[in-house]
Parts: sequence; structure tokens; C-alpha cells
Amino acid sequence: MTSGTQIAPTPIPPIAPRISGRRRLHKLGWNVLGVIVLVVMVFPVYWMVATAFKPGQKILSYTPQWIPTSPTLSNFRDAVHQPFFWDAVKNSVIVVTVVVALSVVLAFLAALALAKFRFYGRKAFIVLILGVQMVPLAALIIPLYILMSRLHQVDKLTGVIAMYLTFVLPFTVWTMRGFLLGIPKDLEEAAMVDGATRFGAFVRILLPLVGPGLVATSIFAFIQAWNEFIIAYVFLHTPQKQTLMVWLASFTTLRGTDWGPLMAGATLCALPVVVFFLLVQRRIAFGLTAGAVRG
Amino acid sequence: MKVRFLVAAVLAAMLAVAATTASGGTSKAQAGKIVVWLQNDAQNGWPEAVALANRNFKAQHPDVDVDVQYQTWGNHLQKFDAGLAGGDAPDVIELGNTEMTKYMAAGAFKTLTQSAFPNNKTWLQGLKNSAQYNGKLYGVPYYAGARAVIYRKDQYKGAGIKSTPKSLAQFVADGKKLMKKYGKDSGYSAVYFPGKYWYYAMSFVYDYGGKIAIRSGGKWKGTLNSPKALAALNQVASIAKSMSRASKTTDEANPQQALVFAKGKVGSFVGNGWEWPYALDAKVGNPALDPVVGAYPMPSHIPGKFMPTFLGGSDLAVPVTTKNQSLAVDWIKAFTSTASESEIAKAGNIANTTKLLAFNASNPKLAPFARAAKFSWFVPTSPNWANVENANVLQNMLVKIFTGRASVKAAATSASSQITRILNTGA
Amino acid sequence: MSRLAPEGAALSSVAESEFALASRRRRRLTRQRLGHAAAPYALLAPAAVAIGLILGYPMYLLVRMSFEKYGLFELIRHQGRWVGTANYAQIFHDSEFWRVLLRTVLFTVVNVTLTMVLGTGIALLLLQVSRWLRVALTTGLVLVWSVPVIVAVDIWRWMVDYEFGVANWSLQHLHVGNFVRHDWFANPWTGFGVITALIVWGAIPFITITVYAALAQVPQELLEAAAIDGARPWRIFREVTMPLLMPIFVILTSLSIIWDFQVFQQIWVMLDGRPTSDYYTMAIYAFHQSFQISEYGLGAAIAVVMVLFMFGATLVYLRQMLRAGEIR
Repeated sequence: MTSGTQIAPTPIPPIAPRISGRRRLHKLGWNVLGVIVLVVMVFPVYWMVATAFKPGQKILSYTPQWIPTSPTLSNFRDAVHQPFFWDAVKNSVIVVTVVVALSVVLAFLAALALAKFRFYGRKAFIVLILGVQMVPLAALIIPLYILMSRLHQVDKLTGVIAMYLTFVLPFTVWTMRGFLLGIPKDLEEAAMVDGATRFGAFVRILLPLVGPGLVATSIFAFIQAWNEFIIAYVFLHTPQKQTLMVWLASFTTLRGTDWGPLMAGATLCALPVVVFFLLVQRRIAFGLTAGAVRG
Repeated sequence: MKVRFLVAAVLAAMLAVAATTASGGTSKAQAGKIVVWLQNDAQNGWPEAVALANRNFKAQHPDVDVDVQYQTWGNHLQKFDAGLAGGDAPDVIELGNTEMTKYMAAGAFKTLTQSAFPNNKTWLQGLKNSAQYNGKLYGVPYYAGARAVIYRKDQYKGAGIKSTPKSLAQFVADGKKLMKKYGKDSGYSAVYFPGKYWYYAMSFVYDYGGKIAIRSGGKWKGTLNSPKALAALNQVASIAKSMSRASKTTDEANPQQALVFAKGKVGSFVGNGWEWPYALDAKVGNPALDPVVGAYPMPSHIPGKFMPTFLGGSDLAVPVTTKNQSLAVDWIKAFTSTASESEIAKAGNIANTTKLLAFNASNPKLAPFARAAKFSWFVPTSPNWANVENANVLQNMLVKIFTGRASVKAAATSASSQITRILNTGA
Repeated sequence: MSRLAPEGAALSSVAESEFALASRRRRRLTRQRLGHAAAPYALLAPAAVAIGLILGYPMYLLVRMSFEKYGLFELIRHQGRWVGTANYAQIFHDSEFWRVLLRTVLFTVVNVTLTMVLGTGIALLLLQVSRWLRVALTTGLVLVWSVPVIVAVDIWRWMVDYEFGVANWSLQHLHVGNFVRHDWFANPWTGFGVITALIVWGAIPFITITVYAALAQVPQELLEAAAIDGARPWRIFREVTMPLLMPIFVILTSLSIIWDFQVFQQIWVMLDGRPTSDYYTMAIYAFHQSFQISEYGLGAAIAVVMVLFMFGATLVYLRQMLRAGEIR
């Protein structure tokens, strides 16, 4: 304002459009690649849903139909009428809800211990939960069954829930620990000076901050519990107690696989997971790695 | 402190959950219920037979519930093993007839008295053999399946085949005629022969006088490389190579061969009784083919005779862990009654008694299979046979031959030594 | 530590209350120290109890079974026969075991490498594309992630079906070769190719979204500073981004190793529950020895060997995990 030199508004130099043009071309290139990746990744899922809508004869066709020309709901009807569908839905929902709830709480507490305290046995526990993940499940079935039988937990949802919990906890404890490690210590100390107990500080300050981490943990627990098959099959006997994955297996008999109803059933099974995901997916990104990068 | 309180609360919750379930009390020993494991084929195939059995059983024992739980072929033995380990296996279980020996030898079943069961004097010999071990009876024959050639009458006519072949040589010649007429379509098979279809392939071996394995001097010996067996396998290889465009590495259920047949590019295939109506299924098959489909027993290399067919099937057994043996026996009696077996036969199977073969014979869609069932072969009755099946020895051998990865002689010799080793394993 | 007295209080009362507060604080510190000592154990207890209760006895049984002859006969009688290290000896003398081990190692290396490279690549791609495509891609990845494994295998099995599969039809019509009735599993190499594609496809979403989140947290200023300095994108990635992402990479790689080494269901279901021996990986081999041949002692020994092997392979991660706590 006070300077002698006047700075007249200069016109946009002609070089600028060429740069943004090149950048646009780059962007276009990336976008094309992105679309290709999207199509390739999503195609199998599309194929599942499309097959679910095709009538049986069109599924077994030498020329695949890319888009169902005469879509039908008969496969879905057959799937839902396969015995014990609604029982299976109920059981899967119960199992998954309890597993997710319990694992989030237990993992949070355990992760607190591992991340915020130094104590004897800490390393041992970390090694232990790593080791637990490495044991092949198939080898554990008989020993688990012997234990569960003694505890009268065979053919019981609670037995299955307990087993799922143990498979899910190691990974969820890691996730939560990683995230907790990322919270700066001064935030904690600020809370404590206010006269709060250490645990009070945890609850009031950390819990909201690890919200995304809790969400991420719950998603992993959800998927593990929802997808599991062999434990549910071996340990749940009465058909009224079986879960959706076991129900899905009933589509394969000696007569081969009933593709139409199977894909319809599979689509139905995948739906709740997708819905749950889409509701919480934005929080995942911030949950998983906030601690790790800095840690 | 808040920590301890929270921890106590969580622990209390877990204990409460555990307590409520423990107090629920399982105990299958209660006489109020028996548990029956059937394969899921019964669920869709012959539910009337199951319903009939349950009704009759309930009339006999009004205060006992029957819980029929359907299993899948893929995992039912895993579940059974777990149940045996935990001491709570079902009261009645269905096992495939080739699976029986292993469990009988391990003492998994209660011994049964033959005379207690309906039609026991006319049980199909092949099934009865699979339920006996060391002279004792451990199972009750449930049902059987025999295979015959299912074919397209119109295609035979079109290729100039006047009547169904009565000898293997004629069968091969007919196949060549079919390939000449329709084989230009690269997807056409005169004889649809999937690579892992060992039931059909081994039928040739037994027809030529060979065997999968023989027992001599207390030991088993694989004999697929004997001259007779090799001749049979060479014939098998020749048919598969020249007349079949089926996958060399899948079996007859994946893709389901009856459904491939329904698509029109197959002249004939070897299937069970239920595969004929399945090819005509309204939803997944082709009902329009009904007038042009027929069946005949597979002819032997000896003119005028039939090739022995593999008598597949299932038995019903009572696991040794049961606390309701008499109830279990009563249910089996109800399920293998003549009435119940008739329902099973109606579904395209072969009932467990020769009395009902006549029933099958009167139905044109079942008659060829009933005729074929009269000449059958069965796998070596060694407790380790199930391990041979699980190791896929025969399937591997056939795949190697069909894909040309090994000569017939080399593949058969390798398979024989594997069979010898597996059958002679352990105590 | 010094915010003791409320404003406006008399000095004496301040001193008085200061003394009272100090003693209260001292008592709280002692209680706190004790509580402090007990707290981690109390916090850890529920999770440790859950894992210990359910897995403790079975793990003990598993290890004990590995030293016993435990076939169907023994299973029914609930009593194994002690044979010392005979099972282990049998495994190590079985040439099949070494073949399977080698195959599994190779399989794991290929899968983990492809998963990590492609997953990271797509994460980087996410940073470059337009916003609408970013949303579409993450949604698509979430969709893939949500499909249960059993279902995914069935879909892929159907896609590569011999007679009616869409893969054969497409490749045929793209004139890539003769794919009419092409049997993908006739040759174990192509068969494993399909299985690898399936596994990598299913694993990418997790890796991509995790790495993407990590990338999103790399401070922009660092990247911009490097760019202004004239560094090319690849160099920026290698020297600025990678070091920051290293902990996450180590975690993801170790997890992938553990998961891919134990792959069972995909191979099993893809081959209709009857894989031929040239498709055996360690998990299938262990299953075969346990359930199919009913030699549970042998199966247990194989499982123990697998665990020890995986421990060795993930030693790096283990030390990272332990060290990460130390810094604080």
C-alpha cells in the first residue's frame, strides 16, 4: 500500500494451462488404471450376484450371460426355503454380536495393560498371543472337542462364542495396542493432574480417541466370527443351532452343487457384512495405523 | 479402584454366562431323545421315508423324541471323530459302505443281532458284506446305488446304432459311430468319462478278472499292474481318449454329469438311477429330453454278460458311545422296514433287500439299474481302505493316465505299490 | 503438580490445605503404586483367562498327542500310546513332508509378495485418482473384503469351471489361446495360479486399506519439502514414505506370512475336498494325516512343527513388537 512500486495484476502466464493439461493427462491415466483395478477386483462379486439372479438353465450355459436377461428371484426363494435359514440367521447374529462386544472390551483392557504399563510377563504374553495365531485350526479340533465336551459346551452357542473369542483376541489385542501406543503421553498426564485416577484418565481421554480403533477391532472380530465354518459345523449339532456358514454348506450334496441357490444364499450371507462395513468404513482408516506409523 | 471393579464385573459376566449354560445340562443319556445322523441326500431325496420311520417309532415309543440331523459328505467323519473323542456321538449314524471297515476295525460300533431287523434274510449281499467284520454284524444295510449307461436314444438312432450294445466290443464300436456322426463339435462326448470317475474305471478291471488288491498270506497286495488289470486299464484309456471330452481332473459330480448330459453334447454316460430324472429336472436340467433318454446295463467284454458295477451305498450303525442302544435299534428297524425302503427305492435308489428289486424292475426308469445291481464288485475289505480313498490313489492314477503324464503301466504300478503300503499300515 | 489452592484463599489456609493435600497425595501415591503394580495384571486378566481357559488344555493335549500313537482305535478309548519322538522321526524321514514344506514356503513367498506389492500399489494409486474413483475403489475393496472365504472360493470355482466357466469362455474369445474346456487344475502350476489369484484377491483389501491409512498419516510437509527439493516421486517414496511405513509393513508382512502359510480352505474347497498330493500344503498335509488317515498323533506333530517354523519366520516382527514397547 505504501510502497512505490505498483504491482499490477499480471495475466496468467500461458505456461500454466500446459502444466495443468499435463497433470490432467496424468490424472486421466491414473483414473483409467483405477477403473481397470476396480473392475477386476469387483468382478467376482458381481458374478456371484448376477448368478444368483439367473435361472438354473441359464447358469449352466456354454455361453455366459454377462447380464441376466431374464432375472429371477427363484434362487433366492429356494435359498430362503432351504431348511433352518432363519434359525441360522438368528444364531449367526447372536454369535457375532456377543463375540464383537466381548472381544472389544477384553482387547481394550488387555491392550491398555500392554501399551501403558511395564510389567513382568509382558513379553511373555505378547509372544503367547503371537504363538496362538500360528496353530493350525484343523489340528486343534479334536483337543478342543475333548475340552468342550467335558465342559458340556458341545452343541451350545456359548461354546462356539468362547472359541471364536480366543481366535479373535490375539489380533484385536494387537490392533488396540498399536493404536494406544500412538496416543501421546502428555494427553494422559494432563488428565491425571486434574485429580483423576489413571484409569479414569484412560476412560475419559483415551476411549474417545481410540474410538476408530475400537471400530476397526470390531470389524475384524465381526468378519472372523461371521465367516467361520469348521468349528461351527463340528460343535453345533442340532440344525436349529447352526450358523449361516453351516447352512450354506448344505447346498452341496452327493448330487454336486446347486449353483443358483448357493450363490443366492451366499449373497444373502454377504449382505450384513457389507452393510456393517459401509456404515463404519470411514473410521477404519484412522483406526488401524495411527499408532503404528509413529510407534 | 475402578480397574478392579471393572475387571470383576467382566469376570462375573463371563462366569454368569458359563454358569447358565452349564446348568442347562446337556446329557444325551436322557432317554427322552435319540439323535440320528443321516446324510443330506435323505433330506431332499426321500423325506417321506424319514417321516414314516419317525411316525412308526413314535407310535412305539411315545415319550422319546427323534432328532434327525443331516450331515454333509465332506465333513461328517470329522464331526464323528470329534464326537467319539468327546464321548457324545449320535445314537444312529449313516456311513458310506466304503467308510465302514475302518470304523468297525477300530471298535466304533456296537454289535448287532441280524435277526432283529426286517428283511434280514434277503439283504443285498454286497451291502451286508460291508457291514460285517470278523464275523460280527456292526451295521444295517440302508440303500444302494448301481450304475448303468444312460443314453440318448435319438443320437443312437442318428448314428445308425440299431440296438443297445450287448458286448464291450460293440459298445466301443457304437461309440466310434457316435463320434463320427457328432464328434465334429469339439465339445461332444460319445461317452462322458471324467478323469476321477474311478467307480466306472475299476468296473473294467473287475470285468477283465483283475482286482484292486488281493489278500495273501495275511498281507494285502495291490494288483492293478497285473496283466488282466492292465488290459482293462488300457481299454479305459482308449475309450476316454477317443470318446470323451470331459474334464480329466474332476469327478462325476463337479460338474454334475447328468446336467452336462442335459445340455445335449453327450451321447451317453454312466450314472446312478437318480441321475436319469435329474437330467430332466425342471430347474437345472432339460425336461424336453424325456422321450429320448434311456438306460441299459454296461455290457461286459464277454458278450451277453453285464460288466460288474460298483455297488455304492450306505449302512446304518450304532456308535459304541450310545446310551440308548435299544432305542437306536428300534429306529433303524423302523427306517429299514419294507414300507420305508419302498419310499427310498421310489427315489431312484436300490433298496437294501432283493424283495424290492422286483419293485424297481417294474419301473422302466429303474429297471436297468436293478438289473445291473445283480453283478457288482466291492473294494478290498481292509480297515485301511478308507485311507486309500482319502489319499486319492485311484483318482491320481486315472488322472495321470488320462492326461498322458504317465503310461498306463507306470501309473498302475505306482498306484499298486501305494495301495500295498497303505493297506498294510500299522496294527 | 502445583495446582493446589483455589484462588483467593488465605495463605494460612493455603498452607494448611497444602499440607493436607500433600499427605492425601502421598497416601494416594502409595495406593496408586500398589494399584499401579496390580493394574496391568488386572487389565490383562480377562483376555488372558479367556485364551488360557479355552486354548490351554487343548494346546497341552496337542503337544502330548504329538508324542503318542493316537489313531482311531486310541481315540475311541480316549487313551494314546506313548511313542516318544517316533512321530517326529516319521515326519522328518518322510520325503513327502519335505516336498510339502518346500511347496508351502514357495507358495507363501509368492502369495505374500504379490499381496504386499499389489496391495501397496493400489494404496498408492488411491492417492493419485480422482475423489469419486477413490470412493468407488474403497467401496469396491470393502465389498470384496466382506465376502466370506467359503463363498469366495465357490465363486472362483464356478468362474474357472471346466464346462461352463466364464474364464475359459473369455480367454477363448479374446483369442489368447485355446481355452475351450481348459482344465485349470490339470497342471498344478496353473492350478496354484488360480488359487494364488483367489488368495491375493481376497487379501488385497485389508493390505490396501491399512497402507492407505498409513500413507494418509505421512506428514504432507515432509512430502512437499522433498518435492520442492526436486526429488522424483519414486525417490520420495523410497526415502521419505517407506521408512515411516516400515513398522506397518513389518506387521502386515508377518501377518500375511502366518495366514498364507496356514492356507487350507481355499485349496481344499477349490479341489472339491479331494486334492491330489501335488496340491498339498502344510495345513492340508496336517489335516490329511489327522482326519483322513485318522493318525491324530502324527497330525499333532506336524502342527507343532508348523508353529515352530512360523515362529522362526516371524522373528523379525516379534522383536519389533517387543521393542516398540521399550521406547516409552
